[in-house]
Amino acid sequence: MSLRSQLLKGILDGCVLAVIEKEPVYGYELSKKLQEVGLSDVSEGTIYPILLRLQKNGLIKGKMQSSDYGPNRKYYYLTEQGKESLDTIALEWKQIVNPVNSLFKERNIP
Amino acid sequence: MKAKQLIEENNQKRELLTPENKQYYSDMLVYIRLNLSLSEQQSEEVLMEMLDHLLEGQKDGKSARDIFGDDPKRFADDIIQNLPKGKKRDVFPFLCGIVLHLMSWMFIIRGIAILVTSHFRDVETTVYPLTSLIIFVVILAAVFFDVWFIFRIIQQSLFNENANKKKDMMKFIIMALLSMGIIVGISLFTPKFGPTFHFTWLASLLTGGSLLVIVYIMRKSNVGFK
Repeated sequence: MSLRSQLLKGILDGCVLAVIEKEPVYGYELSKKLQEVGLSDVSEGTIYPILLRLQKNGLIKGKMQSSDYGPNRKYYYLTEQGKESLDTIALEWKQIVNPVNSLFKERNIP
Repeated sequence: MKAKQLIEENNQKRELLTPENKQYYSDMLVYIRLNLSLSEQQSEEVLMEMLDHLLEGQKDGKSARDIFGDDPKRFADDIIQNLPKGKKRDVFPFLCGIVLHLMSWMFIIRGIAILVTSHFRDVETTVYPLTSLIIFVVILAAVFFDVWFIFRIIQQSLFNENANKKKDMMKFIIMALLSMGIIVGISLFTPKFGPTFHFTWLASLLTGGSLLVIVYIMRKSNVGFK
């Protein structure tokens, strides 16, 4: 596993929660949105084990709904607990990312 | 949407997959469904989500491999690990259903067999309940072993491109002959002992028929009988 995907693995739960917080999404939409923001090396399928785990822990809730076009989709909503968890993750991320950024500041990263 | 509907829908949608994607997806589907201890509803829901995803990806020219990775077994294991367990009580009525079903058919077959043969010769209708119980337990054990064995053959053939269908078929035939042999052997050689009573073809048929009706009603009333 590349360093990048290892780093990503730890924070992917937070990314998924953040997308769902903006608006309820279904699986395919979620993977599209993650790729759109630039997390292109998340293989699309990996979101499904994550979605199951987040559901099991009560952070999100899935609901079968009919969409404007096409078949019924399972849309995911953030729960209260999920919101709290996302706040914690975002805070912890900030506490890591700022010091790391200041350490790497001197380097010229293209 | 109930699991049953999801399965139905899944069967139809699967036909839209390309042969290669269908092979990949079907292996994963069977592998996940074989885990009977998992929640059926949740399993079917995630299988449907993955199928929808694959169908959309297919439109963009992506393959199952692009979407779910090169190691379908590992991906499926990851899914299984995160699926919630089903309620334990679901397994018990399921097993009871199988046992009752088996019993009812045995009574019905016995009734018909006696009715038919009694036209040609006298048939002994005396029943030795203890002896019959032993034979029934052996049949039950054979059925459960066979089911387990078939599960194993299927599980081994998944995610395996050079799975040998002919060899699997041979294994299956040998197993069926063997268990049949054991059942016939046991019913011939178990000594007749203990109390007896007369059990006519009509009584046998009626007992089997009413058992079947009971199983049917219980299944309708949704207590988990399959």
